[in-house]
Amino acid sequence: MKREWFALGIVALLVIVFPASLFGYQAWRTNSSDARVIDVIASSPENGGWSPDEIRVNVGEHVRLRIAAPDVVHGFEIPALDVRVDEILPGHVQEVEFVATRAGRFPFACTRWCSVNHWRMRGVIWVSDPAQPALPAPTFAPPLYQQLRIDIDAMHPAQNIPPRKPSAARGAQLNLRVDADFRTQSPDAVFAKLRADAAYDAYDDQQLWDAIAFAYFQNVGAENIANGARRYARDCAACHGERGDGQGPAGKDLPGLTTMHPDMPRGPANFTDASAMLGASDALLQGKILRGGMGTGMPEWGSLYTDADLWSVVAFLRTFTFDDPPAP
Amino acid sequence: MTKAALSYRHTHRFGIAASAVLLMLAAILVPLPAQAYTPRAHTLQINARAFAFEPGSLSVRRGDTVTLVLEATDTVHGLYVDGYDVNLVAEPGKSATATFVADKEGKFKFRCSVACGALHPFMIGELNVEPNLPFVRALLLTLVGGIGALAFFWK
Amino acid sequence: MNSPRFELTRIPLFKRVVTSRWVPWLFMALTLPIFLLAILTGLFGTPAGSRNFGIIFVWIVWWALVILVMVPFAGRLWCAICPIPAPGEWLQRRALIQPRAGGKLFTLGWKWSPRLNNIWLQNISFLAVALFSAVILTTPFVSALVLLAFAALALGVSLLFERRVFCRYLCPVGGFIGLYAQLAPVEVRVKDAALCRTHTDKTCYRGSDDGYGCPWMVFPAALDKNTYCGLCSECLKTCPLDNMGVFLRVPGKDLQTTKGRRLDEAYKAFIMLTCALAYSIVLLGPWAALKETAYAVGAPAWFVYAIIFLAANLAIVPGIFLACAWLTRKISLHKFSLRRTFTEYAYVLAPLGLAAWAAFSLSFVLINFSYAWQVLSDPFGWGWDLFGTANWTWTPYFAGLQSFLQIPILLAGLIAAIGMALRTAHTQGVPSRAALPIVAFCAAFTMVLLWLYV
Ligand code: HEC
Ligand SMILES: [Cu+2]
Ligand SMILES: [Cu+2]
Repeated sequence: MKREWFALGIVALLVIVFPASLFGYQAWRTNSSDARVIDVIASSPENGGWSPDEIRVNVGEHVRLRIAAPDVVHGFEIPALDVRVDEILPGHVQEVEFVATRAGRFPFACTRWCSVNHWRMRGVIWVSDPAQPALPAPTFAPPLYQQLRIDIDAMHPAQNIPPRKPSAARGAQLNLRVDADFRTQSPDAVFAKLRADAAYDAYDDQQLWDAIAFAYFQNVGAENIANGARRYARDCAACHGERGDGQGPAGKDLPGLTTMHPDMPRGPANFTDASAMLGASDALLQGKILRGGMGTGMPEWGSLYTDADLWSVVAFLRTFTFDDPPAP
Repeated sequence: MTKAALSYRHTHRFGIAASAVLLMLAAILVPLPAQAYTPRAHTLQINARAFAFEPGSLSVRRGDTVTLVLEATDTVHGLYVDGYDVNLVAEPGKSATATFVADKEGKFKFRCSVACGALHPFMIGELNVEPNLPFVRALLLTLVGGIGALAFFWK
Repeated sequence: MNSPRFELTRIPLFKRVVTSRWVPWLFMALTLPIFLLAILTGLFGTPAGSRNFGIIFVWIVWWALVILVMVPFAGRLWCAICPIPAPGEWLQRRALIQPRAGGKLFTLGWKWSPRLNNIWLQNISFLAVALFSAVILTTPFVSALVLLAFAALALGVSLLFERRVFCRYLCPVGGFIGLYAQLAPVEVRVKDAALCRTHTDKTCYRGSDDGYGCPWMVFPAALDKNTYCGLCSECLKTCPLDNMGVFLRVPGKDLQTTKGRRLDEAYKAFIMLTCALAYSIVLLGPWAALKETAYAVGAPAWFVYAIIFLAANLAIVPGIFLACAWLTRKISLHKFSLRRTFTEYAYVLAPLGLAAWAAFSLSFVLINFSYAWQVLSDPFGWGWDLFGTANWTWTPYFAGLQSFLQIPILLAGLIAAIGMALRTAHTQGVPSRAALPIVAFCAAFTMVLLWLYV
């Protein structure tokens, strides 16, 4: 009989203590840390998106996010707090720690294309300061397009189309000074002004366009273009296409501007369309990126991008209409 | 059965087994007639979505230079080609490219290498590098082996 | 007919192990927590199958162990260490090690219907699992529910019926392990049949203070095939004359006679053969629409898939074989009924089927085995790293070489099947050529698999 009890004891040990210790280990991992552990589940929007999608922490609190991806690859970023995880593989858990130093409302987002709805996968971190319960009033300057009263939802075809795709490399050879404010003026408007100026009569249309391309890229700088290219690949190419032609796989079923009028173009904008791009000022493009399409399928990026980021993607968008951007 | 008959049967069977094994070796080793062929270069575009490669089968000839362009349409997918050790990872908006020379003939499965959901382990396509000599040899082998077995066990 | 065999129980150490009352308990006590872990990880762990212990250890590691190692080399060995019937068996015996003196089994003692004294229920249970395999194999939660259901059923059945009724008649795995165990080079048999005839107590069937009567409800003294012998080693313990032994033998010896061949077992052979083919096409083929249909349980297209799948298993493949059997019968001058011809030759498919399963399993097991290292360190996918292997990357083993392993396996299966087909003809007393249609069937099947794999 003694050996029966022994055998039973061992079985009980294995069947009860072993599983219990597994769950115990997990509880210990959570509770033994000096940081506040918050479990976050990253699922594609169809499967529930972020859970939770609102996280509340305090200023100065040591927070550890434990992010799990049950379905497909996701990424995580709180741009304002400079917190990011580039890759959360399915079935893996990625931990990231941070201490928020200022109060506020900070959006976070998924950074990998996890589904056609990936861009909807966003959430918010509220950081409150126990010493100062009210959130500071946001300091807010109206974006440039509003100051200029540009209607960013209207069509903006260019009056003048270059005979060939303008090239900054050819433009560089011309040694031609172009003074223009590209933020507020479309390339088309810049061209019209130059053409009307008798000082440029010696140059043909193509030469003027090449000079504009060169001047534009000189103005924004290689660094910005490179930063814009990275963001474009990560956030925009799935809809607008790797070649900027609007044919990205995630853009296939989006309504586009038809939500405003059935005759307006469907789907994501085509950045290789010279007329639309040359007719748009940087302020217009930046405005659309910042505010989004409000129902067209074009997401808003103003809450995730800094001003500099916004201008840098605009600069990169120009490389679809202007050849030979400077290499960083 | 008399002793002599028995031993005859034994040597007889041994003969059959030995010749079958020899023929099977031959099926593995005989040089098969090759056609003259000037290799080409292919660029093959493959779309990956959960849980399919489109197209699911690719055909090239031995010696061809193959450029695979993997484009993902819904989420992150990979493409790993068995035997060629090619591994690509693509994401919507970020396609991936690999170039290699298809120097081994046969059928090589390619499969998704980044977990992408339930059927991920069965997200499989195939690259056929023609002529499919391993298959021809396998058929020869089964024929020889099968006929050998028949002869061996025949009474 | 005496074919050579070697008695393993002559080795003292081996004999001590198999006659120890501790050993079966020890194995089950080891597999039970692993089984439990597979269920717990399935229920509470990550839904990503590739990182869930339950999926990887059941459908890759365990499966590989069973179909590639245990069944071909040791027959029903798995049944001797399987944790699923353990709780029920222990409860029935109210003991884990030593039988209670004169103790009766703790069950309602219902009688199993003689009409179900066959493996039709196992055929059905296997088909049921097979039909949903695209989901069961890939979804940890569902997989865990299935395992739980097996365990619950085994426990429930043990309360109603004596001995291992679940294993013998219901377990979906047991059916094919039994079929293929006949090919194994290991057997538990009587040492000297004459001695048994002098022993009227039949403790091997009825049990004694040293052990239980055969839990598998076979009469060890008359054992002549492995199909229903669970290698539990009770008869080695209950035989007072020390007349039971474990033997190494000629592989496939059980299939040398055609005695007692039955339609239910024949169908098991068809189901296994068809499933190996179906999986090779659906799961491993390049046809994505098929996979998606098999996975979309409940969708209209899935019902079409289900009907075709079941028809292939129960009617189409057996039907083609029936046509071959019809030809065979014609060639052999109608010596036996069509049903008998069909049934007796169907056993030829055992080596063919085992080879097909081994070939099929090899490819996905080698490709996905590296996940095992990951889930060892992080069974739930909760971000653990117990042994430092949690972040090892997926590395397909022998990728591109699988077909060179599959070809010889399939070839070996075909040669064995051809040998068996001719032998069946000879035992039936008909000329060799009668087996030709069956041989053609086997060769065609092998070539289809080769075409799929190579
Ligand atoms: C989910 C798909 C989607 C993503 C992702 C997306 N866009 Fe768009 N975008 C659209 C659609 C649809 C339109 C057209 C409708 C509109 O203008 O609102 C559009 C329009 C635009 C326009 C207006 C062009 C014009 O000629 O007025 C700009 C500029 C733009 N996108 C830039 C971006 C940038 C930069 C990103 C990445 C940071 C981005 N888009 C990401 C779908 C997308
Ligand atoms: Cu995501
Ligand atoms: Cu995939």
